Amino acid sequence: MPTSSPTPSSLTPDAPVPDGGAAADTAARVRYLDEVMAEIDAEVRRRRASGDLPAGLEAELDELFLEFSPVGLQGRARLRETLSLVDGSAYVDIAVPTASNKAVGSYVKRLIRKGLGWYMNFVVAQIVKFAWSVSRMFHVVVDHIEDLEAAVETHRSPDLPADTVPVAGPGPAWWAAAAVEALRDVHDRVLVADCGDGALLDTLAAAGVDAYGVDPSDLVLEPALARGLDVRAEGIVAHLDVVAAEALGGVVLTGSLQWLRPNERERLLDLAASRLAVGGTLVLHSTTPEGWAASVTPVVRDLAPGRPLHAETWAHLLGSHGFAVAQPVRGGADHTLAHVGADASDAATVNAAIDALNDLLLGPTEYLVVATRER
Amino acid sequence: MTAVHQFVPALLPRDATGDHTLALRDALRSVGWESDIYVEAAHDELQHEAAYFEEYPSRAHPDDVLLYQLGTSSPVADFLLGRDESLVLDYHNVTPESFYAGWEEHTTAKVALARRQVAALAPRAVLGIADSAFNADELAALGCPATEVVPILVDLETGSDMVDRAERDRLAARHGDATVLLFVGRISPNKSHEDLVEALWVYRRLYDPSARLHLVGPTVTPDYAAAVFAFADELGVGDAVVHGEGLTAGELAAWYEDADVFVCLSRHEGFCIPLLEAMRAGTPIVALDAGAVGETLADAGLLLPTARPATVAAAVDRVHRDQELAERLVASGHRRLGDFAPARTRARFVEVLGRVAGADRVVA
Repeated sequence: MPTSSPTPSSLTPDAPVPDGGAAADTAARVRYLDEVMAEIDAEVRRRRASGDLPAGLEAELDELFLEFSPVGLQGRARLRETLSLVDGSAYVDIAVPTASNKAVGSYVKRLIRKGLGWYMNFVVAQIVKFAWSVSRMFHVVVDHIEDLEAAVETHRSPDLPADTVPVAGPGPAWWAAAAVEALRDVHDRVLVADCGDGALLDTLAAAGVDAYGVDPSDLVLEPALARGLDVRAEGIVAHLDVVAAEALGGVVLTGSLQWLRPNERERLLDLAASRLAVGGTLVLHSTTPEGWAASVTPVVRDLAPGRPLHAETWAHLLGSHGFAVAQPVRGGADHTLAHVGADASDAATVNAAIDALNDLLLGPTEYLVVATRER
Repeated sequence: MTAVHQFVPALLPRDATGDHTLALRDALRSVGWESDIYVEAAHDELQHEAAYFEEYPSRAHPDDVLLYQLGTSSPVADFLLGRDESLVLDYHNVTPESFYAGWEEHTTAKVALARRQVAALAPRAVLGIADSAFNADELAALGCPATEVVPILVDLETGSDMVDRAERDRLAARHGDATVLLFVGRISPNKSHEDLVEALWVYRRLYDPSARLHLVGPTVTPDYAAAVFAFADELGVGDAVVHGEGLTAGELAAWYEDADVFVCLSRHEGFCIPLLEAMRAGTPIVALDAGAVGETLADAGLLLPTARPATVAAAVDRVHRDQELAERLVASGHRRLGDFAPARTRARFVEVLGRVAGADRVVA
C-alpha cells in the first residue's frame, strides 16, 4: 500500500487562486509555490530521518547506473575491461541472419548469403586480421602501462605512524559560518569532503542546503550515520571519480586535502572542477604551512606525503583550473605576538622584530578560500 | 524588396526546427518579404519547400539577410561564414559535448564541431535570435554583438482536440490506477533519463508501488538508452518503464493526457518544447531547474533545485495527491502558453528581422 505523506493543510488556505497576470497574483503564486517546495523539502527530511530512505541510498543508485555506462565513465578507465571489449568486437560474423517475416524472404536471404559467401569471407578475413593486429598492439600498451604503474608504486612515500594520521575533528569552528554563507544560494547538491561527524552537514542542512558528505574513516562517520545523515565511507578523490560531470552545485574541501601528494592534488582539482556545474562554488579550508609545521611532530613533518599550501598558492591553482577566487578569509588559532609596551627599552626595535616574526611565521593558522567555477 | 532567406541543416517534417522554419518562412512572406529556405538536406515530403544551399549564390542579392537555424553542425555554417550578406543566427542551442563523452564518440565529435561553428558564427553575425535568455547568454558570451530573445514558433493552438482516444484507452487499460510519470524528449544523456528511473524507483518504494514511467522520444544515443533500460531492469522496475517512439500527433497527445505528472529532469535544455505540450495537455509539471527550463516554465510547474530521487518523488507525490496544487499548476500553464502564442511570436520575428533588413513593414 502506498504510504501517504503529511497533507498540505498547513498551506495558506485562503491564498488567492491566480486568475490574471497582475503582479500581485504573480507574487501570490510564487509565494504559494515556495511554500509547497518548503513542505516537499520537509517531507524528504522526514523520510530520511525515519529510515525510509537510508543514508547513502541515493548515492548507491547513482553508482549502480554507472555500472551500465561505458567503461570510460566509471572513474578511471579500466584498461583490461576495455581491452576485453576490443577483443570481443574484433570478431566479425559472416553468418548474416536470414530470418524473415515472409516465408520467401528467408529463402531469398539464405540464397544471397550463400551466393556472397566467397566474397564476404575474403573481405572479412582481412578485417579480422586488422582488428586482431590492433588488439595485440593494445595488449602490449596495457602491459607496458601496468609495468609503469607498478614501478611508480614502489616510489611511494613511507606510511606515517598510524597515530599521526589526521582525522577530521568534531566539526568546523570559525569557518562554518563563512562556508554556509558561500553555499547558501547553491541549488544543486553540495559535497563535503572529510565530513567527519557531520557537524558541517548539520549546519548546511539548517541553512536549507542539500549537502552530503564523504570521509575515508568509517569510525569518525558513525555519529553522522547515527543521525541519518547522507554520508559515505570513501575518500574524496575516489568519490569524485564516480560523480557525473557538472552534477554538483558545491564542494567543500578540507582535512586530507592538506596531505595530498602533488599529483593527487592535481587530480583532485581536475575532478572538483569537472564535477562542479559552471557557476558552482568551491570552499577550501586549510591550515597554513607555518601553523601545520608548528602543530605536528618532526616525524610527520618529515614523512608527510604532502604539505599544506599557502592561501595564495591555492588561489593560483584554482585560477588555473577555471575558478574565480575571492579574497581568502583567515582564522583559527592566532599565534600573533603582541607588541611590547612603548615604555619598554628598545620597544621600536623589538616590535619591528615581532612584526617580522608575525609576518613570516605566526598569525592565524587557518584560512578559507571560496572560489566559483567560471568555465 | 526585403528578403530574409533561411538556412537550415536539415528540413524535416514533424520536427521542431523544421516546423519553426516553415512557419517563419510563411510569416515573413505574409508581410510581403521574399523568403526562401536553403538546406543541406530535406526530407522527401519537404523537397519542394527548399533548395540546396549551394544554389543560393546564383540567386543572391547584396541586401539579403541570411537567417541560420542553428542547432547542429553542418557544412552550411562554413558556407555562411564565407558570405558577405548580413547574417542572423536563430540559435536553438547545441548540447555541450561533455554530456556525450564516453557514450558515443561520433555524437561527441559532432556536437563539439557544432559548438565550434557557433563560436565562429557568433561574432560574424549582426544579430543573434535565441529562443531563451539562456541561449542568448551563450551567444553573447561567444561574441555575438547583439541578441534578442524570441521563442520558437510552435503551433500550440491547434491539436488539443486531436487526442487519439483509442490510444488513450489502451494506455489506461494497461496501467489501471497506477500513477503515471511522463517525460517526452529524445533519449540522450543530457536528458538524464537515469534520474527519472531513480525517481520512479523511490516513488514506488515510498508512495505508489505500482507507479509507471512513460518515456516518449527517439533513441538518439543507443548505448545510453540501453544503459537506462538495463538500469531499470536491475532496479526491478523494468516492466514499469514504458518507451513510446514514432508516435503520431494524436498518440502523443494521448500519452500526455494519460499521464498524471510530466517530469523533466534534463540537465541541459535550450528551451524545452515538451513543457509547452504538457501545459497544453493540462498535465501538471515537475521539472529540474536547469538550462532554460526555469524560464520556459515560469510558475507553471514545480521547479526543483535538485534531481535527487527523494525530492523528485516527494514532489510528484505532492502534485499527484494535492488536487488544488495540480489545478493551480495547470491554470498557470494555460496562462503561460499565451506568452508563446504563434501570432505574438510571428510579430516579434518580423519586428526583429525588420530592423536588420531595414524594412518598415510590420505585421498587421
